[in-house]
Amino acid sequence: MEMNEEIRINAPRERVFAALNDIEVLRQSIPGCEKLDALSATEYEGTIVSKVGPLKARFTGGVTLSDIIAPQSYTLTGEGKGGPAGHARMRTEIILEEHEGATLMKYAVKAEIGGKLAQLGGALIDRTAKKLAGVFFKNFEALLSDADQTVE
Amino acid sequence: MASSEQVAEKPWLGARMARKEDLRLVTGKGQYIGDIVLPRMAHAVFVRSDYAHARIRSIDTAAALAVPGVIAVITGQDLVDDVRTMPQPVLLPNLPAKYPTFSALAIDKVKFHGTPVALVIARHKYIAEDASELVEVDYEELPVVTDPEAALEAGAPVINEDHDDNEIFAMTFTGGETEQEQIANAKAVDEVFANADVTIKKRFRVHRTGLTPMEPRGVLCDWSEADGLTAWITTQRPHIDRLALIDLLDIPADKVRVIAPRDQGGGFGVKAPFFRENVVIAHVARKLRRPVRWVESRHESLMNVGQERDQINDLEIAASNDGTLLAFRNHGVADNGTGETGVYWGFVMPFLGAVELPNTYTWQKADVHLRVAVTNKACITPSRAFGHFPTRFAIERAIDMVAHKLGMEPAEVRRKNLITELPYTSVTGEFYDSGDLIKLWDNLMAQVDLKEFRTEQAAAREEGRYIGIGYATGVELSGMASEVLVPMENQPGYGAATVRIDPRGAVLVFGGDAPQGQGHETSVSQVVANAFGTNPKDTVTVEGDTGTTPFGSGTIGARGASYFMSAVHNACVEIKQKICRILAHDFGVEGSYEDFEFANSEVVYLADPSLRKTFRQAVERIIMHPINMPVGEVGGLEATVYFEAPEQMVCFNADLCIVEVDINSGEFDILKWVSSEDVGNVINPLIVDGQMQGAIVQGLSNTIFEEFIYDEQGQQLTADFENYKIANAADTPNIDITYASTPCPHTPLGTRGIGEGRPASVPGALTNAICDALIPFGIEITELPLRPDTLWEKLQAARGDR
Repeated sequence: MEMNEEIRINAPRERVFAALNDIEVLRQSIPGCEKLDALSATEYEGTIVSKVGPLKARFTGGVTLSDIIAPQSYTLTGEGKGGPAGHARMRTEIILEEHEGATLMKYAVKAEIGGKLAQLGGALIDRTAKKLAGVFFKNFEALLSDADQTVE
Repeated sequence: MASSEQVAEKPWLGARMARKEDLRLVTGKGQYIGDIVLPRMAHAVFVRSDYAHARIRSIDTAAALAVPGVIAVITGQDLVDDVRTMPQPVLLPNLPAKYPTFSALAIDKVKFHGTPVALVIARHKYIAEDASELVEVDYEELPVVTDPEAALEAGAPVINEDHDDNEIFAMTFTGGETEQEQIANAKAVDEVFANADVTIKKRFRVHRTGLTPMEPRGVLCDWSEADGLTAWITTQRPHIDRLALIDLLDIPADKVRVIAPRDQGGGFGVKAPFFRENVVIAHVARKLRRPVRWVESRHESLMNVGQERDQINDLEIAASNDGTLLAFRNHGVADNGTGETGVYWGFVMPFLGAVELPNTYTWQKADVHLRVAVTNKACITPSRAFGHFPTRFAIERAIDMVAHKLGMEPAEVRRKNLITELPYTSVTGEFYDSGDLIKLWDNLMAQVDLKEFRTEQAAAREEGRYIGIGYATGVELSGMASEVLVPMENQPGYGAATVRIDPRGAVLVFGGDAPQGQGHETSVSQVVANAFGTNPKDTVTVEGDTGTTPFGSGTIGARGASYFMSAVHNACVEIKQKICRILAHDFGVEGSYEDFEFANSEVVYLADPSLRKTFRQAVERIIMHPINMPVGEVGGLEATVYFEAPEQMVCFNADLCIVEVDINSGEFDILKWVSSEDVGNVINPLIVDGQMQGAIVQGLSNTIFEEFIYDEQGQQLTADFENYKIANAADTPNIDITYASTPCPHTPLGTRGIGEGRPASVPGALTNAICDALIPFGIEITELPLRPDTLWEKLQAARGDR
């Protein structure tokens, strides 16, 4: 599965980058995140409950951040195992660009999905991935603007 | 003849009789494996790998075992002491190949997405299903090979580690036994090519597709101390399965009985192999001392079986300017999958596909090479048109290309090169016993006015409409003589039948095969009625039970009307001979078999029709009152006959297709589909029509819709009917079946076995018609599946070029 998207986030680039590296922000933004722990500054592990079509699964796995060029880009690689539902491995390249005071975030996801999940059909996987990404950024932006209000 | 008034015609052979099976099948009274329930029966669910190639580090069954209702969870380790590894000799063809050694449940590693690694047995199927999700398998991923050509490259990860590479089988056929002969033949082929007026060379690729029986597989095993193992298996060959179970479980031969359920929802070759699941269920029933049943889900079925075709054929043809086909050269690469399927191991299919390349045409020379590669995919399983769906697509497409190059009508090139003198041995050594291909072809062409069609086609093009005509022919084996089946599959080819007469005049027939929808009960009853002059309703047919039937190799390869029905007929004749001997004695006349007529449920002495008995009186006298018998005769009426034909028999077909292509969307409509069949004498035209229609629809579905897709990690992405689309009624054109048959001289009733290879000529006829329609765009189809979107892309490219 591949996904190439961009999204405009209404916050300056440094703030967005910092928030993307803030485990608490991530924990609250990731849809279905039950648990997220930092093993080091660049390694997280956790549990996510996700529903894809008829399959509901608890994924356990980890992500690693690499190629970090703050505040403009980094790479996320990760894998998760969802027991009988299957497994997934992904690599996401993230680029943050300044854009009229806001941030344009471009992300390219390449995922390998296995097991029953893979057999649900590409269309369903794509739709679900886009939906989850949408929820993530909605939560993420809301947290950023909450933070803004707190500052004010 | 004096008896003509008293003796009626025998109407049963060739009668379009409704099938005896259908009433119970269409009223929900069929007895399938899923309908058989035994006391204390437990239910089994397999845990299957979700990786295509991985080492098994560990399997944790504790959570599954803790589920209330779970009886046992077993893994490959549990089989080590009690079940032998596969393959065992009965499962091995006599062909030189690198057979993998493996455990029925994988122990060290998994080789395809769907490999069985554990079995959960529970009181209820749903409990087993839920608990199976709790079995935790820790895998270490290995590099995956899904492309057959990549699998054959040096340095590719080796999948079957008991061998050095992934080439499970290779064959060179260059017309000789010795290396010198082969070199000489290859040289002769080179010379033909060097001196030919025209040559063509193309790569033809057919995707992974096959057949999907409506009823998936199933196994129910029971164990008793007294009788040993009884196994109900959805199978086309119960007797072979029985031998396999004896060997794998090391059970005495008198302690294993296999029963193919009376009703099976389709097989098409898919239920012909011996599957690893069978032995696991048998082992568990023996271990637990209780009945255990496994019924495959659709998801499992699509992941494990029914996958076939999957070949690349680099084909070259040399021809003369007058359209004479001279020689061909073919380099085939076939994708075998893992090779872990008993009896066939995958490669047997492409092997036969290569042998059948010459089809119905005469060639002076051929040079054929085949390499079969193990990949991280499900092992290919036989699917009607066994191995030759891809090779026939290649040869039939290539002949059209030759015709286009020569500016000749493809129909003319075909007719010119048809085999006219039979018996005939093809350039690859296949024997064709008899038939009349010219009659068959002319019958096909009589269904259309080609000249008028060409005028219509030209006029349509003026209006921006694109219609085209395409053809393909086919030859298929009508059963397999032992001379073919012993080397190919290590088993006999004869047909076997026991005919037993009941004292009240009913006829019981026991057959060693196991039909899955072929209508044997109907055809047998017509053959019996023809022989005894009785009514088909008075015949009962029992097949599939190794405890009651004579040994047969199974319902495979169009053996029904060729071998089994011939054995039934010959057994009837043996019984008739005895009846006649005894009646002649009773009537006090001289006479034997030829002097009596069996008709209208009576046996009549022809020279004096006043001497007659009803069939029932006659058999009751012999079975129940065996006194005052002729010298040397004893009572009872039963005969077991094995039928072996003196020659390998074949049947022929030809297809004609007319299509219209929408050049803006790539969509196409099949306007006409007509076939011409040489099937020998027909026992029941309704059944033969159904076989042909079903086969053609399956061929179309394989060509246009069906495709098993694996991603680069070997994940099988098409495990339901949403993602693996098969043709439905709305996708199906009207199909006209016509006959131009020649009686078979090698069977007692002139019948031939039909239907097995029938889908193979479909992709050629369809794609030839589409290419004919699109000649103005110069489009040549060399790859399947053929879908509107791929055609649209070709059209866009061609129109852009113009």
